[in-house]
Amino acid sequence: MKIVVVGATSAIAQAAIRIWAGEGHTLVLFGRNNSELERIAADARVRGAVAVAVHAGEITSNAYIASAVDALAVNGGVDQALIAHGSLTDAERAAVEPDYLAREFTVNFTSACVWAQLLASTMAANEQPVTKTNRGDHSRTIAVISSVAGERGRYSNFAYGAAKAGLTAFCDGLRAKMLPRGVHIVTVKPGTVDTPMTAHMKRGALTASAESVARGIVVAMNRKTDIAYLPLIWWPIMTIVRAIPERIAKKLKW
Amino acid sequence: MTPVSLDQPWGRGFNVEHNHAFARDSELPTRSFLPRGLGRSYGDVCVNDSGVLLHNFRRDRLLDFDEVHGVLRCESGASIADIAAVMVRRGWFPAVVPGTRFVTVGGAIANDIHGKNHHVCGTFSRSVLAMSLRRSDRDMQIVESNHPLEDVTVAGLGLSGVIDEATLQLDCIPGPGIKQDTLLFGGDGSIDGYLSLDASSQAWPYTVGWIDTLDRGLRGVFFRGEHCDGPDDWLTPNTAKLAMPVDAPQWVLGRWSAKAFNELYYRAQGLKSATRETIPLWQFFFPLDAVAAWNRAYGKRGFVQYQFVVPRAAAREVVPKILAHLRESNVASYLAVIKSFGEYLSRGVLSFPMPGVTVALDVPAPNERDRRALDRADAMVADAGGRVYPAKDARMSAAMFKRFYPQWERVEAMRDPMISSSFWRRVARSS
Ligand SMILES: Cc1cc2nc3c(=O)[nH]c(=O)nc-3n(C[C@H](O)[C@H](O)[C@H](O)COP(=O)(O)OP(=O)(O)OC[C@H]3O[C@@H](n4cnc5c(N)ncnc54)[C@H](O)[C@@H]3O)c2cc1C
Repeated sequence: MKIVVVGATSAIAQAAIRIWAGEGHTLVLFGRNNSELERIAADARVRGAVAVAVHAGEITSNAYIASAVDALAVNGGVDQALIAHGSLTDAERAAVEPDYLAREFTVNFTSACVWAQLLASTMAANEQPVTKTNRGDHSRTIAVISSVAGERGRYSNFAYGAAKAGLTAFCDGLRAKMLPRGVHIVTVKPGTVDTPMTAHMKRGALTASAESVARGIVVAMNRKTDIAYLPLIWWPIMTIVRAIPERIAKKLKW
Repeated sequence: MTPVSLDQPWGRGFNVEHNHAFARDSELPTRSFLPRGLGRSYGDVCVNDSGVLLHNFRRDRLLDFDEVHGVLRCESGASIADIAAVMVRRGWFPAVVPGTRFVTVGGAIANDIHGKNHHVCGTFSRSVLAMSLRRSDRDMQIVESNHPLEDVTVAGLGLSGVIDEATLQLDCIPGPGIKQDTLLFGGDGSIDGYLSLDASSQAWPYTVGWIDTLDRGLRGVFFRGEHCDGPDDWLTPNTAKLAMPVDAPQWVLGRWSAKAFNELYYRAQGLKSATRETIPLWQFFFPLDAVAAWNRAYGKRGFVQYQFVVPRAAAREVVPKILAHLRESNVASYLAVIKSFGEYLSRGVLSFPMPGVTVALDVPAPNERDRRALDRADAMVADAGGRVYPAKDARMSAAMFKRFYPQWERVEAMRDPMISSSFWRRVARSS
């Protein structure tokens, strides 16, 4: 399979890349930091990836995304994709710096939607007729990393949460739209993950490792799960969180 | 691979305050720091109280592998566990592995670790073809054979700089199995039985013994093994299904439970004395890894390990004496690991192994009396011309350290001025 990873330097993406490399897939990695990407690619090759291509660029700019996806289309299409880039918005700064807030939305929301939309369209265009031989494969699935933070705007991180809420909604719609065209969308909703992005935060009992989240993503993609809470314990937790009446929720400093 | 604790070493029980930094790129902390791997050292060689720990476990990429010669270049935070998991299926294995696979390459170099095959291939550093070293006071150094920083980086306890990448020579193996012999020895209060089994097993690449330290007769079990093929489902280790969920209460580990444990173990082995079997290599090398965080079995107050080596000529006489001393002083322990080192001398000036016999035993939360008993054992080791292993230590005195490692000042002279550790402040201070 050819698998595209956007935001390949993120901890979760790196862990997923290792799994796919070990399974002997072909990988196309997008990110911003070229030297990091080269290291990740080298690692994937040693671990068994058939071929790894690396593209460093402005992965949150529309022009870049469009040309990148065009290039993928003419180079034999894509079977699966993971959209993993993101930035944990600094709430204090977002409150006083409108440009920063807008940029964060571009990173966490707009650009992820654009990648998902364009990749989905490309995959649909490359659609092959369903035959006996390819029916069982796991191809043409896109996993998009959203967050449980998008389930409810909270006192402490609603700028980040809002972007992820938008992304979750976009993925729901895209999934419906792409259903008849044979492209599946997995919305991944991790809780707190032990990554450099959260290194300053306290590790609680619910903190998951990037490796376990990555394993969950690969399984969800293969099973064509719609929405994957990772780990699953976040599903009941968020069900409760969503059920708290707003007149109470608005008083919580969480 | 992530550490069990970002603060505590494997032996736990420390009261420490750290700031944490995570190695990502070429930046080093701007305050005094200590590089850290997976924290599998038992004591304070991986502790830097009131300072910064620069965690290296995320720099774990495998960068290049030469399939023909078995040469692997990797970032120094790569673990033996990860390297083995990737390489065993291709017929390669790290040349030297410790009793747990959860150690980083950087940590393996900085303690110059040894394995069950020391008698045929020496320490870990012998399989290191090159390494790069980052220091706060100079450009990146490529440290190869005979580089002036080699002797103080191998077994350098992290003090000479941050090992960034390493190039390792792996061993070619026929498959994921180990052909293992289990034999019994001892009972007469000497280690002669061990020594003669060891002498007749020199052709075996892996040898090690377990001794019941609470038994006056010093009965024990000898294991020898060699690589062989095995079924495909041995290619990867079983991930730890058991985990020690809570700290065990202190009394569980008293002397009597230790004795019961030994008795049980010895019986189980005794029933099938002198067996030959083929087992997965993971089980042979890393039997304890099947229980995650088993160090919690020792309770909150933790434990240290006492590992010493004495020269071969003295071993026959001195090892039983030291074991008797520790038994009589009630320094409780389950069992001791005994291993005869080969003739290889490492370049590292603080490298622990020397031609002779080494013994390692766990000591749960030593109290004042235990400490005095261990100090006395230190003196017996030093008088015999031996030494104690810093990677397992949390207690040896500065004076003893300097007797064990008379060349320690070379490490102090080449130390990165920004790097220090609790261990180093403890043993290198003027006494
Ligand atoms: C169950 C068990 C069995 C063991 N069996 C053996 C055995 O058979 N033989 C043996 O020799 N040892 C053995 N050990 C000890 C272990 O192998 C060593 O302590 C090893 O160094 C731990 O590696 P680590 O990655 O956890 O390093 P840490 O414990 O985190 O650090 C060890 C030292 O390495 C330094 N260091 C770490 N990374 C770097 C780096 N990138 N650059 C420079 N310095 C660095 C640190 O500063 C510290 O001084 C065993 C330990 C356990 C828990």
